[in-house]
Amino acid sequence: MQASNLTDHISRRFNKDIEDLRNNVLTMGGLVEAQLSRAIAAIVSGDSELGIQVANDDYKVNSLEVSIDEECSRILATRSPAASDLRLIVAIIKTITDLERIGDEAEKIGFLASQLAAMDRPSDSYRELKYLGNHVSEMLRTAMNAFARFDVDSALSVVKEDEAVDDEYDAITRQCITFMMEDPRSIRRFMNVTWAARSLERIGDHAKNISEYVIYMVQGRDVRHTEGFDDRESKTD
Amino acid sequence: MPKSWRNLILGTVAFLGTGALIGWIYGRPEIGLLVAALAALAWQIRQLLSFHRALGTRNFDAFRFGDGIWQQVFSRFSRANERASKYKERHRVLLREIRKSTDAMPDGAVILNGSNQIVMCNRAAKQLAGLKPRKDRGQRVDNILRHPELTELLQSDDFKASIEIESPVSPIGWLNCRVVPYGANQKLLLLRDVTERLRLNKMRRDFVANASHELRSPLTVISGYLDSIADDGAPEEWVFPVSQMQAQARRMNAIIAELLELSRLESAGLASLDNTVDVAGLMFAAKKAYQSSSGEHADIQLEIESGAVLRGNSSQIESVITNLLSNALRHTPADGTVTLRWESNKKGADLTVTDTGEGISAENIPRLTERFFRVDRGRAREDGGVGLGLAIVKHVLSRHNAELHIKSTPGQGSQFRCHFPAARIDASRDLDVAGATG
Repeated sequence: MQASNLTDHISRRFNKDIEDLRNNVLTMGGLVEAQLSRAIAAIVSGDSELGIQVANDDYKVNSLEVSIDEECSRILATRSPAASDLRLIVAIIKTITDLERIGDEAEKIGFLASQLAAMDRPSDSYRELKYLGNHVSEMLRTAMNAFARFDVDSALSVVKEDEAVDDEYDAITRQCITFMMEDPRSIRRFMNVTWAARSLERIGDHAKNISEYVIYMVQGRDVRHTEGFDDRESKTD
Repeated sequence: MPKSWRNLILGTVAFLGTGALIGWIYGRPEIGLLVAALAALAWQIRQLLSFHRALGTRNFDAFRFGDGIWQQVFSRFSRANERASKYKERHRVLLREIRKSTDAMPDGAVILNGSNQIVMCNRAAKQLAGLKPRKDRGQRVDNILRHPELTELLQSDDFKASIEIESPVSPIGWLNCRVVPYGANQKLLLLRDVTERLRLNKMRRDFVANASHELRSPLTVISGYLDSIADDGAPEEWVFPVSQMQAQARRMNAIIAELLELSRLESAGLASLDNTVDVAGLMFAAKKAYQSSSGEHADIQLEIESGAVLRGNSSQIESVITNLLSNALRHTPADGTVTLRWESNKKGADLTVTDTGEGISAENIPRLTERFFRVDRGRAREDGGVGLGLAIVKHVLSRHNAELHIKSTPGQGSQFRCHFPAARIDASRDLDVAGATG
C-alpha cells in the first residue's frame, strides 16, 4: 500500500476524510513527540517550570485523541470501509490510544522533572536518563515516520530496538538501587529517577506497538506476540 | 496554391488520364482508369506505411522518395522533431545544472504545493530533515517533520516568522525554518542548520553567568576589608582612596548583579501567563522608594489611566519600572519632571516613562539597548549607572511579548514606551484605580 493509493477512491469526500484523518494522527504524533522531548529536556536541565508546563499541556493530546476517535467512528458508520481502508482505520484507533498513553507518560516525566529540579542534582545531570530518553524519542519518531510512509522496514527496526531500551532500563534500575544502598537519604530522589526511567521504557513499548500496527496496516499481518518478539507486553498491560 | 500541391494534383490527374488513354487504345478505357487508380493508391499507401515506420524508428534518413509532397511533409516533420529534441536536451542540461546547484546549497529547500505537500527537495533538505525525495513526494511535509510549531507556521500565512525546531536526525541538532511564498500558491520551506550558532550562544551565556558568579566571592572579601578599614578609621591620607575604593567595589557588585540577572533572563523562556502583575501598584511603590531616598531629583508624576492587570512576572516588570525610572531621573535636572503612565485599550496596554531631560540624539537610539552602551562616554560612570539597565528592560519585555518604543528630542526630553499585547492583559480582572494621579 502506498500513500498515493489512498487517493483513488471513487468518492472524493471519502478520500479527503481518510487523508484528513491520517494528517490528524500525524499531528497528534508530532505533539506527543514535542511533549516527550520537552519532558526529557526538563529532567536534564532541571527546569521545573518546563516540567510543569509539559504536565499542563497534556490536555491537548487528550482532546486530539477524542476528536480523532470520533472521526474514526463516523467513518466506520457512514462509509463502512473495507480491506486496506478498514485496516487503516483500525490501526489509527489503536495508534491514538498508544499515543495518548505516551502523552500521559510524558506528563508524568514532566511532573517528576519538576520534583527532581528541587532536589540535589548529580554532576552528570542524569545522563543515563538523557540517553534512554533520546533512544526512546528516536524510536517514536521512526515509528511515526513509518506510519507516514507506510514503511514496513523501519517499523520492524523499531520493534527490534525495544529490546535495547529494556536493557538500558534494567541498567538504570540497577544503578539506582546501588545509589540507594550507598546513601539511604537519596532514596526519594532515586525513586523519582526510577519512575522516570520506567515511564521512558513504557514509551518505548508504546512506540513498538505503534510500529506493529503499521505492519498490520500495510501487510495485514499481525506480528504481535509472535516469535522473536518480546511477549512481556501482555503481562504488564 | 503551393507548387507541391499543384504538382500532386496535376500529376495524379495526368497519371489517371494516361491510364484511361491506354485503356481507350485497347477499347476498355474504364479498365485502364481503374488500373491507374489502383496503382496510384498502392503508391500512396506505400508512402504512408514507410512514413509510419520512419516515425516509429525515428530514422528519418531512411525515408527518401523523390521530392513530392511526401518528402516535404517528411522533411518538415523531421526538422520540427530535430528542433524539439535539441530544446529538450538543452532543457535537460539546464535542469541538471539547476539541480546540481540546489543540491550544492548548504541550506535545505523543500518545494511545497498549496496543501503543503512535498513537490521536490534538495540534498541538504534530505540530510538535515531526513526527507526521502522520492518516497515522500506528495506527502504533507508536516507529516514527516511533525513539530507543532512547524505545522502552525505552515498554516499561518506569516512569511516573515522563522522558528527553531529540534533536528529530526540528530539529538543535539537544531533547525531554523522559514516559509517563503512563490509562484501560484507554492511555498518554499527553507531549513538551516543552526546547531553551531545556538551552541556558541549558549557557551557565551554560560561563560558570562559563570564568570560573574566567580567574580562575586573575591569581591565580597575586598569590600569586606574596605568596610572594616573605613569603620576603624583609616590614616588621614587614606580616607579618600578608601572611600573611592568602596564606591567602585559597590559599583562592581552592581554590575555583577545585573550581569547575572541578564543571563538568567536570557536562559529563561517566556514569562508565564498564570501569574498577574499589578503595574499601577508597582509604579506607586517605585515612586515612594525614590521619594524617601535622600538627594535632589526631578519631580515624579504618576498617571494611572487604567486598572488593567498584566499577565507575567512581577519582579521582572518591577525591574523594568525601576530601571526606566532611574534612567529618566539620572538624565533629568532636579527642576524637571518624570512621568510614569499606565494606560490600556483594546490593542493592549502601554507603560510609558517620559522625562524632560537632555534627550538622546536620533543616531544613538537604536543602540541604547546594547550592553554597556553609553551615549556620553566622557560623562559615563560618575552617575552610578551600570550600562545594563536598558538591556535588561529589553529582555524582560521580549519575555512578555512586548515591544519597547523610544522617542526623543535632544534638549526636550525622551519617552520610553513599553507596549504589551492584548493577550498579556488579564481581561477578567480590572483594578479600579483609573484616574488616580499623584
